[in-house]
This record gives sequence, C-alpha cells and structure tokens, in this order.
Amino acid sequence: MIIGNLRIELEPRLSSPKWLYLAVPAGSLVFAFIVGGIFLALTGHSPISTYTSLISHGYTSSKGITNTLGLATPLICTGLAAAFAFRMNLFNIGEEGQMYLGMIGSAWAGIALAGHLPHLLAVPTVLIVGAAAGALWVLLPAILRAKLGTSEIVSTLLLNYVALNLVNYFIYGSRGFFRDPTTSFPQGRGVEETARFHSFGTSNTYPTVIIAILLAVALYWFMKRSNFGYETSVFADSPNTARYAGMNSTRLTLSVLLISGALAGLAGAMYVVGPAGKVDPGLLQIGLGYAGIVVAALARYNFVAVILTAILFAGLRVGGASLQISSNPVPIAIAVVLQGSVLLFALGGEIFRRNRLRIRRVEQASVAL
Amino acid sequence: MSSASSEAAMGSHRLGGATLFALSARQVTKRFPGVLANDRVDFDLLPGEVHTLLGENGAGKSTLASVLCGLYKPDEGAVLRNGTQVRLISPRHGLQNGIAMVHQHFRLVDRFTVAENVVLGHRNLPFRLRVNDLEDQVAQVAERFGLPLDPRATVGELSAGQRQRVEIVKALYQGAEILLLDEPTALLAPPEVEKLFETVRAMTQAGKSVVFVSHKLGEVVDISDRVTVMRDGRVTGSVARGEADTRKLAELMVGRDIDLSPRRSRVAAQETLLQLDKVGLTKDGIERIANISLSVRAGEIVGIAGVSGNGQRELAEIVAGLQAPTSGEISINGSRVNGIGTRNVRKAGLAYVPEDRLGTGLAPSLSIVDNLVLTRERGFLVDRKTALVEAEAFIKQLEIKTPHAHTATRKLSGGNSQKVLLAREIFAAGENSRVLVVCSPTRGLDVGAVEAVHKLLDDARSAGKAVLLISEDLDEVLTLADKVLVLYRGSVVHEVAGHEVDVEAVGLAMAGLS
Repeated sequence: MIIGNLRIELEPRLSSPKWLYLAVPAGSLVFAFIVGGIFLALTGHSPISTYTSLISHGYTSSKGITNTLGLATPLICTGLAAAFAFRMNLFNIGEEGQMYLGMIGSAWAGIALAGHLPHLLAVPTVLIVGAAAGALWVLLPAILRAKLGTSEIVSTLLLNYVALNLVNYFIYGSRGFFRDPTTSFPQGRGVEETARFHSFGTSNTYPTVIIAILLAVALYWFMKRSNFGYETSVFADSPNTARYAGMNSTRLTLSVLLISGALAGLAGAMYVVGPAGKVDPGLLQIGLGYAGIVVAALARYNFVAVILTAILFAGLRVGGASLQISSNPVPIAIAVVLQGSVLLFALGGEIFRRNRLRIRRVEQASVAL
Repeated sequence: MSSASSEAAMGSHRLGGATLFALSARQVTKRFPGVLANDRVDFDLLPGEVHTLLGENGAGKSTLASVLCGLYKPDEGAVLRNGTQVRLISPRHGLQNGIAMVHQHFRLVDRFTVAENVVLGHRNLPFRLRVNDLEDQVAQVAERFGLPLDPRATVGELSAGQRQRVEIVKALYQGAEILLLDEPTALLAPPEVEKLFETVRAMTQAGKSVVFVSHKLGEVVDISDRVTVMRDGRVTGSVARGEADTRKLAELMVGRDIDLSPRRSRVAAQETLLQLDKVGLTKDGIERIANISLSVRAGEIVGIAGVSGNGQRELAEIVAGLQAPTSGEISINGSRVNGIGTRNVRKAGLAYVPEDRLGTGLAPSLSIVDNLVLTRERGFLVDRKTALVEAEAFIKQLEIKTPHAHTATRKLSGGNSQKVLLAREIFAAGENSRVLVVCSPTRGLDVGAVEAVHKLLDDARSAGKAVLLISEDLDEVLTLADKVLVLYRGSVVHEVAGHEVDVEAVGLAMAGLS
C-alpha cells in the first residue's frame, strides 16, 4: 500500500518472538476497549467511569470476581470442548446444544438416580451422565463425519436448534418428567439435594470451578504427553502422514468429537449441580456454548489459556450486566460489543505476529508502461 | 513488441561494438527476509543462444529468472534488453519486451482447450472470438517450432510433456523472443525430452534465445551453448560448451568435490526378503497394477524406473500395506502380508520412504523428535526422551542442518528433511526391519544432498537390507540398482541387470515402445 511517498508493507517474520504471543492479545484488549469507548461516548456515557465500574463489578470486587468465576465455570468447559475439537480441525460448533443435553441428562440423573446412590457418588454420577449426554448428542454428526465425510460444521450447528426446542418442550410444551409437578408455573423439577454442590459461602462460585480448572490442566498434560495426543496432532497436521503411519482416522475422529461433546455436556451438568439444580431454560439465554468457541479461539486452542480467556469473558458479561442497574444505565449490548471487538482484534492482530510492518520512503516514482 | 523498435535500440546502444546481448543482468541484488537471494549477479544471454542457469536449491537461480522475466523487481542493479535498461514491473510487461517464463508448475486452466489457454491473457484479442481462426493460428505457431499439439484438446487431459508444449506455444504466440524454462525436464520421459530439444533448436534457428533453469547436471547442460553456475546467491562460474565436465560443474555448484559415480552391491546377494508373486490391483474398474512378480534379496537394490503415473505409487502402497492388492501374493521375510494393514506389515519387517516426504512421510509442523516416533510402537505415553537422544545422534552423524532437535520438519531444507525420514526408516526402525521401499528419494534435492542420500541407500544395502527403489529419475536408478525393472501402465515391461543396462532400450521401454 502506498500513501503519499511512504510505502507500507507487511513482511513475513521468519520466527515470532515470544513476547508477541502476549503482546498481541493484550494489545487487542486495549483496542477493543477503545472501540467500546467510542460507542459509550456516542451514547452519552463516560467511557472512563463506565470502564471503572465494569472492572470493579466484573473482576476486582469480591462479589464481582466470585460471580465471574461462577459464570466462567461452564464457560471453561465449553471452551475446552471447542479447543479440543478445533485443534484437530474438527469444527464442532454444537457446544451449545451438547451443553443443553448435558443439562437434561444430568437433571435426569439427579432426579432418578441420585436418591439411590451413596452421598459421595451422587454428584460425580450426575456430572458423568451429563457428559455422556453431551457426547451422545454429537454421536450422529461424528459418525457421519468419520464414515462419510459429512461436514460436522453444519450437522452440529443444526442439532443446536433441536436441543433448544427439546429444552423448551420439556419445560413449556409438556407436563413430563422434567417439569416441576408441584406448581402450575412452568419450571424444571428439582434434583435431589445430594446431587448438588453448595456454593462457597454466600457467593455464586461452586466447587465445580476447581474441577473445570483441574480438567484444563489435565487435558493440557494428557494431550502433550500421551499417544492419543500425539496421534491427534499428527492427524491434524497431515492426514496423509497419519494414514502412512497406520493410524485409524475413523477412531480418532470419533473419539475427538465425542470427548468434545462430553466436555460441552459437562458444562451443562455443572450448571445443574451448581446454581440451577434443575432443567433451567435460563441457560438458553446466556449462549455459553457459542461463547466457548470464542474463548477457545482467543486462547489459540491452548487448554490452560482457555481458563484465562473464559474468566476474561465471564467478567465482561458480569460487569456489563451490572452496568444496567446503575443510575445512568448502560445497555448490556456494550459488553457484547467489547467481546466481539476483543475477538476481532485478536484475530486481526495475528497478522502482526506473523508479519513485520515496514514503512519505507518510496524513491521518485518510475512508472513504467 | 515490434522488431523495428528493438533494431533501433540495437543501433543506438551497442556495447563496445561487437557483442550485443539479448538480455543481461547487471549487478542484480535481491533480498528476502533473512536471505540474500541474489548478490550482485551478472548474467548475459546472446541472441540464438541456449544458456543453462545451474545451481542448487536456494542458490538464487529461480530468483534471477524471476527478476529477468519481470516477476520480481531487483533491489539493486539493472536488467538490460538489447543493451537498453528496462524496468520490468510485471510478467506481462516482461512479455511486452519479448521475455517469457515457463514455470515448473504449469499455470494453465485445465478445463480450457489448448487454443483457449494459449490466447488467454493476450491483450489484443478481438471482442468477438473466432475460435476457428484462433485454433489455426495456434496450430501454425506449434507447427513452426515442431511442437505437435491439437489446439482443440482439453488441457486437463494432456500429459505433462504436452502441457509444457502448451506453455511454450503460449509464450511464442504472445511474441516471446527469450524463453526462460524452469526445470523443463523434471516431468518428462526421455523421448519427450528429445522432442523438447528439437523445439529448442528450432527456436534458436529463428534467432530466439532459451534459458534453462536447472539444478540437475542432466541433459539440459549437454545441449547448452553456455552454462552459468550459481551458489549462495552468487555466480561461481560461466563456462562454454565443452569446457567443463560434469564433475567440474558439480564442484562449482556445491563448492566441493562430488562423487556421483555408480554404486553397486559389494556383497553377494543373500536370501530373498521381499517377494511379489503375480500382484495386481484393480480400482474403479481400472487395472492399476497388472501381474507384477519380483523379488528383492538381502544386500541388493532393485530399481523400478518409469515415467510418473505408471503405477509407481500404487506399487509402493501395496507393498507398504496401505492398499491391499486385488490379486497375487506378497511376502516379507517369508511371511505372507496381504491385506494385514500397514502397522502389521511394518512389524513383519518393512520400512517405507514415500515419495511425498513432507506431507506423507513426515508431519510437517511436528518436530524432528516427534517425527522419529511416528512409525514405532508407542505406549500410553510417548517416550520422547529416547527419541531426543536418537535425534541428536542423527543430526550429528548425518550432518542434518537444523537449529535443534525440536525444530519443525517443514523448516528444514528438502535434503535435511529427507535425511530425517531416511534416518527413521533405515536406522530407527529396529533390527527386524530389513526390507526398505524408497520412492523418488532425491526428487527436488541438491546435488550435495543427492550424494548423501545415495550414500545412505548404499550403506543400507551393504548392511544387508533388501531395497526396492522406485524412482522417476532414471539416472538415479541406473546409479544405484543391481537390477532394473521398467514400469509402464502398471506392468513390468523390461528387466535387466544393473551393469548390463542399455540406456536406450530402457528409455524406449519407459515410453511404452519396447
């Protein structure tokens, strides 16, 4: 590109220095806040005081951070789900639906099984059944992908809508198993008390946050060291090489998608054993499944980084929501604008990690024919 | 490009009277990030001359050719056409000055006819195309330079040699006086090479000049009037025909003495390790491999020659267990391995170096260490400690140029990544592994790397391995093999002992004319 007598060029870097891996996301955060600030100024809000309040409500106050960690808990799981599949170039974007199924499955276990189980086994069982339900929801797209090469993007996305309507049907459309029989108000039937965690003190953070974080670290280690992790990285890099080495691509595809679905299902299950305690259509409003894809992308599909990006995003949500109830209410949309801008700038910033920006003076134009 | 204006240029810009170069580079320097691709390069091309630009990969010859044809702009220095400086801004601009380049990877539209491809991009086409007229014109140009081509044929259905002719006709049709050919013989069978040379002679007789850009000391050097050798971005020498032999040129290219003389087995061949008995493969109703029987004994190299696409890939994959044959028997170390899968074939004693080293034999984004464990049994956890020790030993022993053992293999040069692949398949495969199938192991490699790879294969043979060498490079097969088989349309059509080879007979067999 030439502006005036300056030539602006992007030159590929031979290798990216380590600090850029941190500087680019940090820079994108700053730019996103600037863009959000323009929106705020245009709508008649002070960017500085809004951001101060956002950060306090989202991260720095004790109520803020515990609310954020509570919301981040299922978000870490959906983020891991997306990262797990995307790393192998399997684009499971059905985390949303798989999470709903996880909620349904775990609620069923919490109602039907938990009463018959010893105390200590109740919560683990509920979580496992939820994960299994999430995996089940991706089974059909996984088989289609592995056996026939059908695009998992379309099939997993479409199943999100099926899952959404399934939840609505259970609560609003029928008086079945999942609906609370004791009241005419449409709400889910509560799970057994033994199938729930107590939150820490009076906060909205549940012990599931520890499970989510440990899970992220364990996955990181497992995929780095295990044969399964090795085979998936070969397959993701070059399917021909995997075939050459005699790896079973069908089995790899199936297992990666099923594990991804299970992680998303676990997000729904954590919602049940934590704040909800039942099939709660409120989950449909938050979009944690889709947000998980964004969280994973921002973390560059690194499992440990997912923990941080999930907390970042959850904080923006929580802080953004609290701005609505201030004296000069800021619409929740601003939080969404910020999230979108963070992602856009982070992805766009990749250009600057891979390339070097060079500005040169152009010699007097020698225009040939 | 009118001839009148170039003659005018000739008149006014004579350099010192006698010699006038059709095309010259003067002190051309071109930098890329981290690389000085051309360092003050001088190059001269006479009218009617055949000139080879010889050098290893990365020597800067393709960069120079790209500068000469207008694809790159030099950072410093100048390009002169008929003694006048020209500032080429694009290949189209180069073509306006009569300079055209035929790239190694053809730039044709597969679904268009020959005539449509030839006129594609031509500036002065009439609004309404008269297809018949165009086809006649294209046929005329083709005929004049001895390039047999059907202008109505669809390009997608043509062989590599025919596609190359389309590219050449295209350049000539658009008025090229100077033709730069990048690795022109890489994809051709011997008879096609001969055809190409006839065309080149017809062109030089018409006063046109030809530049071959090549990294191989093959036929192109033999028919050149002059050879300019490059190394590390600089010109290391320029010699006229007959002034230097292959050995001297190789030394100019590599900077040290190179031994490319034939290598034959020095031990008596022993027991048969790989046996194919009437093996056939029919896929999608087409017979890809027909009734092939062959055996490879311990301590010998059996070479399979043939033009690409005659069943080499299928044959290799059948032996490696990646495809099951539809008929016949294969045995390794005496045990039958039909259709047992590639992992089990490996357990039976096979190692396999596929043709596509970076996309099949190696995982390009994974490190050298990770690539060493690719074809071995791995437990629940991958043991990278042992592999790291091995990798470091190989790097030292085989002189693999890499920053460290954790470097991604795609960052290595072709020769170095091939060394990693060969190290894994020859040395790291275990005692039991005694059959080695190798496909086109030196394709695209430098002379120095070719020497190293040939030495490795020779060492493997001496160590008592049975080597099946499948290569499109006839010279390579003739250099190494103790027995030569020619593959044509899935069948073995010619078989001869390595020391009794009649090159002409083999060439004819490769073209299906035996």
